[in-house]
Amino acid sequence: MRLSRRTLLQCLAAPLAAWGCGRKRPPEARQVDLFIASDGDFLAFKPDNLTCPSGARVRLTFHHGGKFLSARHNWVLVHPGQMEAVDKDVDDNEGIVAKDDKRVIASTPMCDKGVTVMTQFTAPAPGDYPFFCSTPGHGECMNGVLHVIRS
Amino acid sequence: MKRTRSTFAILAFVGFVLTPAASALAQAQLKAPDDVKTALRLLVQVSNDFKRQITNKNFTRVPHEFMEYTEAADALRSSTKDEPVAFKNRVDMRLKAAVGAYQKVSDMSAKETDVDKLMAEHAKAVTAMNALFDLFPANMRPDPNLPPPGRGGRGRASN
Repeated sequence: MRLSRRTLLQCLAAPLAAWGCGRKRPPEARQVDLFIASDGDFLAFKPDNLTCPSGARVRLTFHHGGKFLSARHNWVLVHPGQMEAVDKDVDDNEGIVAKDDKRVIASTPMCDKGVTVMTQFTAPAPGDYPFFCSTPGHGECMNGVLHVIRS
Repeated sequence: MKRTRSTFAILAFVGFVLTPAASALAQAQLKAPDDVKTALRLLVQVSNDFKRQITNKNFTRVPHEFMEYTEAADALRSSTKDEPVAFKNRVDMRLKAAVGAYQKVSDMSAKETDVDKLMAEHAKAVTAMNALFDLFPANMRPDPNLPPPGRGGRGRASN
């Protein structure tokens, strides 16, 4: 008995298709957009509490809402217990955070009044993560918490 | 002589009563109360930043704070630009005194590293700023001893 090439291909394809259909596709990371701004020219974030699910792909937009003062601001997310140390370490560098700082989860660039900047990161394990502005002297007042919840 | 003295006393009394009354009237009719309130709060915020930089011994940052103080002062000038000339002049005069006092702290920080001496000079600057705040209605005056609104003063978030 001679099988045609077409039949042979069909015989091979059927179990492969059945196997492929049975496999679960890896879940795609959920995309979450967060918005935060400085409270005008005041040293505070608005809002100062944010929430996102763990594992989500977070796109955070930060707007410098100031009108009068030339102070620059940014948004820096760090691991719990690291805010004060990171804040202190960047003091001598005009508040610029090193990209390879393992204590830092995400940060936006420094920006001037009226400017909007963005950063993207994957939300870490559930927990409360502090964020702050790393301009020298700002972190003490200008800070908040990102609540990462179970997805 | 006695009559002259009593006339003078009456005039002094009238002046004593009318001056604050005129001032209160001008204050009650501020053209841009929200902008004035914001500017006054900014002056307090920057004054507190001065204090923080001094106590943290970040003396090189103090001139930067002074620059911000002048920007907050500009915000106040701008917010009172449409006020009656007499009131505006009084604000300008006291604002100039406050800015001068903070400049003194800034200049001093270039050479002086004694925190107590700098804080004493800063206290004088706060007094000058309080004299400025006295020109505005009580409900508009920020408390110079309190940090700005927002998270300020509540310290660090869960660190």
